[in-house]
Amino acid sequence: KIFHLGACRVSMSTAEIRAGFTAIKANIQSRDPIRTLSILSHPQSLHKVKSSDRCCVAHHLFTFYVDKVFKHCRTEDSFVNRKISSIANSFLSVRRKLGQCHEQNNCVCGEESTEKFKQILANYEGLNVTSAAMKSLGELDILLDWMEKSQ
Amino acid sequence: GAEAFLPAPQNISILSTNMKHFLTWSPVIVQGATVRYSVEFQGEYEREHANESWIPISECSLTTATVCNLTEDISASVPYRLRVRARLGATSSPWGTLTGFFNRVTTSLTPPVLKVVADGHHLLVELADMGPSFQFRVLYWKKGQASRVKHKVLREVSSVVHLDTMEAGAEYCVRAQAHVEAINRSSSFSPTQCVRARGDTSLW
Repeated sequence: KIFHLGACRVSMSTAEIRAGFTAIKANIQSRDPIRTLSILSHPQSLHKVKSSDRCCVAHHLFTFYVDKVFKHCRTEDSFVNRKISSIANSFLSVRRKLGQCHEQNNCVCGEESTEKFKQILANYEGLNVTSAAMKSLGELDILLDWMEKSQ
Repeated sequence: GAEAFLPAPQNISILSTNMKHFLTWSPVIVQGATVRYSVEFQGEYEREHANESWIPISECSLTTATVCNLTEDISASVPYRLRVRARLGATSSPWGTLTGFFNRVTTSLTPPVLKVVADGHHLLVELADMGPSFQFRVLYWKKGQASRVKHKVLREVSSVVHLDTMEAGAEYCVRAQAHVEAINRSSSFSPTQCVRARGDTSLW
């Protein structure tokens, strides 16, 4: 599928990522005891992000998951680890495409997107790293839903 | 006595057709004994962000088979490394590693298998399912009017698809190719198949 994120066009197969996530969602979310907090949606939903800021926020988020989240999600369950690997490698592939948009100046970071991403990082760093990583992974469908809105 | 040295599996290769990926290797022969094998994979993420870690494939852990289905695990378009080792009792062989990388974008795509049917005046096509990653581009035209080709993209293969209503007694031709959106590649076209519509003019 082709995603239009402001001036940036990115092809991405969310179906494969979503299938991988759905297979482990219950397992991952059961490891997240703090149900009252959200990493991605607090204080404001991703859906509030302006269209012109979508590329920058997406680029930040995919980098966030690749650099910070997946590596702290290793479990004792081989099946879960394999699905996380599939998702992580898919995210790496998409992040590269978003990076190309960034290099071609099609991914401008306005004040709002920078502020939104700062808030997400603050939410993340407010928890211990494993809890924060598992919670972020458990919220993957929030990110996928938001991305698919840009299709 | 001490168990002998176990050589690493040889002739390790990937067979990848229509987005189904299999690792194969030659058996390690030890007279009178059953040798087992274990397979692991490493994606680009693991190399760059997870200390070059390897991930075991449980379905291919301590297996006696010399083939392993990687399809479920290789679900991103990035370069993967693959390795296999032999096991006999408590002795493990060194790892045998696939030379180079495997990226699913290199899978070989075969033309779809299709069956074209003239049901009275209706031009129907039936396509064999090739898996969830596949769509089909079907071209169809009235014979002799190759310049007026019509086409349909079929995202899901249901049983039979109605392409067109044919003119009485006319011959229509169809061919199709498979397309995989995830790797943005298409197969070559299937051979063309032509059928003739029933002769009389009544449509029912």
